[in-house]
Amino acid sequence: MGKDKEKKSKAKLPEHLQQRVDYVTCGDKLNYNVNTFTSASTFTAMGVDNSWDFRNFQDNFKIVINKLDKEVMEFDMIGVDPAIANALRRILIAEVPTMAIEHVFIVNNTSIIQDEVMAHRLGLVPLLVPPHLFDEKVAEEAPSEKNTVVFKLDVTCKRKPDGSLENDKVLSSQLVWLPAGSELPEETTCRFASGQAHLFAEPDAQAPRAVHSDILLAKLRPGQTIQLEAHATKGIGKQHAKWSPVATAWYRLQPEVHILQKISADSEVAQELMATCPGLFAADGENNLRANAARGHELVLEKLRRLMEQERFSSVVAYRKRKDHFIFTIESSGVLPPQELLAQALDILQEKARVLKEKL
Amino acid sequence: MYGDEEHEVHEEGEDEIVQEDSWNVITAFFDDKGLVRQQLDSFNEFVNVTIQEIIDETPEIVIKPESQHLPGVEAAEEKEYIIKFGQVYLSRPQITEQDGESVVLFPKEARLRNLTYCAPLYVDVTKTEYTRLEDDTVEEKQETFSHVHLGKVPIMLKSERCNLHEASTEQEATNLGECKGTSASWPAPQGGGYFIINGSEKVLIAQERMANNHVYVFKKSQPSKYTFCAEIRSVVEGSTRSASSMSIMMLAKGKKAGAAGVIRAQIPYIRAEFPIFILFRALGFVSDRDILEHIVYDLDTDPAMLEALRASVEEAQEVQTQEEALNYLGKRGSVTGASKADRIQYARNLLIKELLPHLGTEEFMETRKGYFVGYMVHRLMLVALGRRTEDDRDHYANKRLDLGGPLLAGLFRLLFRKLCKELRMQAQRMVDAGKEINVLSAINEKIVTRGLKYSLATGNWGEQGKQGIRAGVSQVLARLTYASTLSHLRRVNSPIGREGKLAKPRQLHNSLWGMFCPAETPEGQAVGLVKNMALMCYITVGTPSLPVVAHLEEFNTEALDEVTPADIAAATKVFINGVWLGIQRDPTALIKNLRAMRRQVAFSTEVSIIYDGPLKELRIFTDYGRTSRPLYIVEGNRLLITKHHIRRLIAPAPDEEEYAWPQLVQDGLVEYIDAEEEETTMIAMTIADLRNAREAGSNTGTTYTHSEIHPAMILGSAMGKQAMGMYATNYQTRMDTQGFVLYYPQKPLVCTRAMDYLKFRELPAGINAIVAIMCYSGYNQEDSLMLNGSSIDRGFHRSIFYRAYKEEEKKAGSMSREEIEAPDPVVTAKMKHGTYDKLDADGLCPPGTRVSGEDIICGKTVTLPEDPSGAVQRFSKKDASLALRGHEAGVIDQVRRGWVMLTTNDEGQKFVKIRVRTICIPQVGDKFASRHGQKGTCGITYTMEDMPFTAEGIVPDIIVNPHAIPSRMTIGHLVEALMSKVASLMGSEGDATPFTKVTVDNVSQMLHDLGYQRRGWEVMYSGHTGRQIRAQIFLNPTYYQRLKHMVDFKIHSRGRGPVQVLTRQPAEGRARDGGLRFGEMERDCIISHGAAAFLKERLFDQSDAYRVHVCERSGLMAVANLKKQQFSSTIYKEGSNVYQVYMPYACKLLFQELMAMCIAPRMQFDRDALPP
Repeated sequence: MGKDKEKKSKAKLPEHLQQRVDYVTCGDKLNYNVNTFTSASTFTAMGVDNSWDFRNFQDNFKIVINKLDKEVMEFDMIGVDPAIANALRRILIAEVPTMAIEHVFIVNNTSIIQDEVMAHRLGLVPLLVPPHLFDEKVAEEAPSEKNTVVFKLDVTCKRKPDGSLENDKVLSSQLVWLPAGSELPEETTCRFASGQAHLFAEPDAQAPRAVHSDILLAKLRPGQTIQLEAHATKGIGKQHAKWSPVATAWYRLQPEVHILQKISADSEVAQELMATCPGLFAADGENNLRANAARGHELVLEKLRRLMEQERFSSVVAYRKRKDHFIFTIESSGVLPPQELLAQALDILQEKARVLKEKL
Repeated sequence: MYGDEEHEVHEEGEDEIVQEDSWNVITAFFDDKGLVRQQLDSFNEFVNVTIQEIIDETPEIVIKPESQHLPGVEAAEEKEYIIKFGQVYLSRPQITEQDGESVVLFPKEARLRNLTYCAPLYVDVTKTEYTRLEDDTVEEKQETFSHVHLGKVPIMLKSERCNLHEASTEQEATNLGECKGTSASWPAPQGGGYFIINGSEKVLIAQERMANNHVYVFKKSQPSKYTFCAEIRSVVEGSTRSASSMSIMMLAKGKKAGAAGVIRAQIPYIRAEFPIFILFRALGFVSDRDILEHIVYDLDTDPAMLEALRASVEEAQEVQTQEEALNYLGKRGSVTGASKADRIQYARNLLIKELLPHLGTEEFMETRKGYFVGYMVHRLMLVALGRRTEDDRDHYANKRLDLGGPLLAGLFRLLFRKLCKELRMQAQRMVDAGKEINVLSAINEKIVTRGLKYSLATGNWGEQGKQGIRAGVSQVLARLTYASTLSHLRRVNSPIGREGKLAKPRQLHNSLWGMFCPAETPEGQAVGLVKNMALMCYITVGTPSLPVVAHLEEFNTEALDEVTPADIAAATKVFINGVWLGIQRDPTALIKNLRAMRRQVAFSTEVSIIYDGPLKELRIFTDYGRTSRPLYIVEGNRLLITKHHIRRLIAPAPDEEEYAWPQLVQDGLVEYIDAEEEETTMIAMTIADLRNAREAGSNTGTTYTHSEIHPAMILGSAMGKQAMGMYATNYQTRMDTQGFVLYYPQKPLVCTRAMDYLKFRELPAGINAIVAIMCYSGYNQEDSLMLNGSSIDRGFHRSIFYRAYKEEEKKAGSMSREEIEAPDPVVTAKMKHGTYDKLDADGLCPPGTRVSGEDIICGKTVTLPEDPSGAVQRFSKKDASLALRGHEAGVIDQVRRGWVMLTTNDEGQKFVKIRVRTICIPQVGDKFASRHGQKGTCGITYTMEDMPFTAEGIVPDIIVNPHAIPSRMTIGHLVEALMSKVASLMGSEGDATPFTKVTVDNVSQMLHDLGYQRRGWEVMYSGHTGRQIRAQIFLNPTYYQRLKHMVDFKIHSRGRGPVQVLTRQPAEGRARDGGLRFGEMERDCIISHGAAAFLKERLFDQSDAYRVHVCERSGLMAVANLKKQQFSSTIYKEGSNVYQVYMPYACKLLFQELMAMCIAPRMQFDRDALPP
C-alpha cells in the first residue's frame, strides 16, 4: 500500500508517523492508534498536506468481492475512511426499505399462542416482496394496493383417520397472498382499487411469499384454529428491526503481521512464534523469519496477540490492522440479494450526500 | 450389617466410588423425596396419626341431668350419659354442589371457583345411657352413630389424601389442569405441599422454636441478681398444655452478705424463688448427704463442688423435714388462708402436676424428679465452676421446627376441644329439658371447618378473636417464578421480634451447615430470621419413643429407682427426649447396638443417638421438627457404599429388584444425622479426604465416621425470586391475580447440578443475552444498562402480564340483590365514568376486547329498596360494576364463569373471573438482573446499528457498566460469562457446580484454543464512528433475567385528584391516584431559597385554604350564613364581632378536634394589625 502516495504531497511523513496513520497496532491489552486523521491541517507543521483529494481517492479506492451467494456477500473495501464504511453499514442495517407484516387482523385464534405474540412472530417473517413496487405508507394514509400486501392465514388442526395430526405445525409457507386485497375491508379499512396480480405478471416474477417456507409460527392441537389477515407495509430498520433487510452487516479491518527486524528462523523467539502460530510464520529462503498474510490465519491471531505482552516478541513482530482496508460482510435476510442491498445502500448514501451538499 | 462388616472384602481403589458417582445417590434422594417432602410428610403424619390421637386423648363427655327440684314430685330415676368418640375417617376432597350432589373436587376447580380444597372428616360416636333403676341396678343402653360429620379439613396438595396423589405421569397431571411439576414422573419438585383456601394457594411456613425438655445453662450478664441459671421448658409429649418452665439460679453477691453462690429454684405457681434444698426435701430427699449425692454424685472425689454447695446447704437449715418443706412451698403458693394440711396437699399436688411434667404427672415420680433436679443443679455447678461453657442458644440442636402437621395438629386440638365443649353444653341443655340427646345436631361441624379455614386463610394461628395468636404462619404461595415457589415451600421463620437489635440469632451459625442455605435470606429487618432449607435437609416427623425405650430396658439400662446415686458417677446417664430414663454401665456396646438397629431400620431412621463423652450422657431423640440430613456412613475410613451399589442405582440388572434411596438407607449406606448428633461425628468433606486418612495410617490420620455426599449439595439456591419466566406449565388455565410470563424463555448456557433438581431448565426464567461490559456513551451509569433496541424488536425479554379480576353476585339481605348484567343507564344510579360500551349483553367483556384505564370490564347492579312512601323513583338500581385498574391497559384474555359455593347449605352464586393480558416490552426504566445480584435498570435502548460490533459481526444485547463489578466482587458473573462463551462455541452446556474441578484457567484455555482471547475479550468497533475501540471489550453471553419491577407499573404523577374526606389532604399511593408528598425537607429547600411567598401560594392558597368565621370575644369559630349575611357567635349571642379568617383546612380540623377533647383553642385578634 501507499506506493502512489507521493503524487500529491511532496513531503512525506516520517515512517513511524505514517505507520501510525495507516495502521492500528494490536497490543496484548489495548489497540493503539485507533483514531483516524481526517483534518487537512493535522500535519501542516511537518509540511504535509492531509487534505482529502478526490483524484487520490479515485486511484486508491477499490472493491474486491471475495464471496457472493444468495444470502452472504463478503468484499474488501479499500481506501476509504471508516466514516464511509460505517455509514454504509448503518444504512444497510437501518435504512434500506423492505416489506414486512405490520398489521395483523385476527379473526379467530383458539390456539394457545396469544394474539400479540402471534402478530409479533408474523412481523419477523422475511417476505419475498420486491419493496420497490410499493410506496411507503404514511400514518394517516389508508391502506391500498399501492402500499399494502395482504396475506391470509387460515389453519385448522385436525386429527386424521390414521391418528396423525394435520396442521399441527403452522409454517410460514401457509401464508397465502391475497392479490385482490383484504377480504374483510370493513374491519381493515383496506380497499384495493385494482388487484396486485399484474405487478407479478412477468414470467420470472415470483408471487409474494415468505422467504423461508419452514419458519414455525405456531403449534396447534386438534380443533384449534388460527384465522387471520396480515398486512405487510414498507418500512426501514430504524423503525423496527423486522424491516431490516440484513441479518447483520459489518466489517473488520485487514489484519497484517509485520516483521520488525530480521531474525533467524532458528532463533528461540522465531521457533516459539512458529510453534504458537502455525502457518502464519515460516522461514524464508535465507532462513529468516517471514510472516505470511494474516488473512486466512485468523484463528492464530489471538495467540499472537497474547505473545505481544512479552517484549522479546513485540520487538520482533507487530500485529497491525490497516485502517483503510475494510473486510465487509453483508448477511441478507433473503428479502433481496446482498449485491442489490449494497447497490441500494450506496444509492441512499449518495442521496444523503446530495441532500447535505444542497443544504450546505 | 453393622456387625459383619469384616466379611466384606474391599479391594483398594476398585470398589470405592468417586465423587462423581455421588450424583446418582443425590438423584436417588430427590427421586424419592422431592423438594417439598417435609411439608407432605408432616401433613401425612397429621392426617394418618395425629387426628386420631387427638380424638383418643380427649376425655369422654359425661352428662348428668340437673333436674329442677319440684316439690311434691319424686326425683325420677337417675340417668347418666356418656358420649365417646371412636374411629375417625377422613375422606377425599369433594364438594357438594347446589343440587346436593357430591362430586370429587380437583385442585384446578378449587382454584378457579375460589373453593376450599378440603375433605370431610367423620368420626364414630357412641352414646351410652346409664339409668339407675329403683332397685339400684344400672341399665345400660348404647347407641352408636357411625360416620358423624366432624368438619372439613383442608387437604395439602399431593399428600396421601389428595385427589392428585395417584396422578403419576406428566400427562395425567396436565389433564387435571395442573403444572407438570405436580406429576410423580417429574420427581424433583413433586409439587403440592400447599393448601387451597377460597381459591388461593396457601403455604404453611415452618416455625422455629426452642426445643422443649432440654436443660439449658446460661450465664447471666451482670449486673443481674443471678450469676448462672439452668432452665428447662418441660412439655409432655403430644399435649397442648403450655410449657411448664422451671429454672435453677445461682445468686450473685447481693445486698445480703454471704448470699453469693446460693442456689435457688423457681417453679410454676410458687411466687418466689426458694432454696433448692427445700425443693429436694419437698420431694422426699431429706438428709443433706442424700441431697448432695443427687447433685454431686461422687462426694469423695469432687470437694470443689461440695464446697460450692455449702452456702445452699446452710440456707435451708431451718427446713428439715418433707412436711416442713411442703408447708414452706404451700405458703408461697397461690392459695392463701388455707389450713396447714391443705397447704401441704396443695404443694404435694403441685409437685406432681406442675414440676417437670415431662417426667410424669402421676404419683411416685418423686425419685425421677429428684434425680432430674439434681442433674440440673449439677449442670449449673459445672458451668459455675468453669468446667463447662454455657449452652448455645443459637445452636440448631436446640431448635425445633413446627411444620404444617404439628401446626395443624395444635389448631385441630384447640378446635376439637371447643367442639366438645359446645357439644357438652348442647347435650346438657337437651337433657335438662328432659329430651333425648340428639348427638348429630349437637355436634357443630362448623367449628372445625371454619376454624381451620380461618387460620389458613388469614395466617392468624389460633382461635379467632383470642389473644396470643401468631400472624403470618400461612402465606399466599409465591408464583412469580418456579424457583420462588420452591423457595417459598422450603422457608423457615423464627418468630423473634423483628425489631430486636440482637444480632446473634440472625447470624449464620456453624450448626446450620448443610441444613440451611447460607445465602438465601431476605435483606432488611428479617435478615437471618427467615431462612431457607438446604436442598438435602430433612425435617423429622417424630416417632414414638416406646420401641427405643423398650430396647434400652432390654439392654440393661438400670432405671433410676433401682440405682443408688453413687452409681451414677461411673455410669452413663441415658436420656430419651429429655427424660432421664436410667443409667448404663456399658455405653459403648449400647451405642454400637443402637446405631446398628437404626441402620437396619429396626427403629425409625430419624432417631438420633448422641453420646456426650464429657457429660457421660447418652441422649436419644425421637421428637418431630429436628433438622437432619443424609450422610454416607464411613467405617475404617472407607465408605460403605460401593461402585456395586451405584451400578444398581443407575441400572439394576434384570434379575435385581429396583434399587433406590430407601434401599440405600435400609442397607445402612447412608443415614440421617441431625444437628445434635452431627456434633459427635467426624465428617469427611470429600472422598479424597478418606483416602488421605487411610494412607496416613491409623495412628496419625483421622478416623472419620461419616462423609458428605457431595459438598456442592450444602449450598442452596439464591435465585432471582423476582425474575419472570414461566412459573408453572399450566399458567394458561390459571387465574392468578398477577402472573408474568416471558415470551421466549431460554434454559441457561451455564447451570449447576442442583438446578437439575430445581427443574430450572424445564421452567426457565431468563434469556442468554450477549452482554458487553463497557462504557459506551454513558447511558449505563449508576447501575443502569443499555439494551439493544433491535433485540427487543425481535422479542428479547418481551413478557406478558396477566391480571385476574373477580366478581360475584353477593347476597346482602333480602331487599337488595346483585346481578351481573350490562347496567341500563336509564334506571341505574351512580354509574362510573369509564366506558360501558365494551360489555356484552351478559354484562361481561368478551375475550379479545382491548381495554384501558377505568373501562368497565364486568357490569353489576344492586337493586335499590323500594321507597317506603311509595313515591316513584327515578332509579331502581345502583351500579356496582368492576372497572379495570386505573393505570393499566390490555386485552381481555379469558373470562371464566361459574358458580361459587361458600358452604354446603348456601346457594351457589354466579361468579366470574376475568383475566386481562398486557404485553410488556422492555423499555427505559425496566429492571434486569444477572443471576449474581447484578441488577440494573435500562438507561437507554440503542438500535443495532448504534451498538458496537465485533469482527464477527456480533452486537451485544446488553451493555453493562464496568463500575458495577469491582466493589461488588461478583466474580461469578464474570466466570459465568466466560463459561457461557465456551459453551456456546462448543455447542454444549457449561457446568458451574461448586467444588468441582472446573477452574477459570481451564475455561480460559479452552476459549483460547478456539481462537479467542483467553479472558473473553473482543476487539470491537464503535457503532457510531466506525473506528476500532482502543480497549478490548469483555463480550460474552450471560444469563439475564427480567425482574417484575417495570416503570409502567410505577409511573405516577398528579396535578389534582382525590382527597381524603376528613382531612382534605391528598390521598396516598399510586393506586388511588394519590399526591406526592411535599415534605418538610422540600419545604426547607423553598424557604432557604428565599421563596416563602411561593411556598405560601402553593401550599396554602392553591391547595388547603379554608375560610372560617371567628367570634372575637370567645376566639372560637362562629356560625356564618353567607347567603343571608348572618353571623353569630355560638357563645356570645350579642356583643361580639365576627371576623373572617383564612387558615389551612388542616388547622381548622385541628381546632375542632381539640374542642372535641375539651380544649378551647382561642384565636385572638390584634385590632391594630388588622387591615382597615
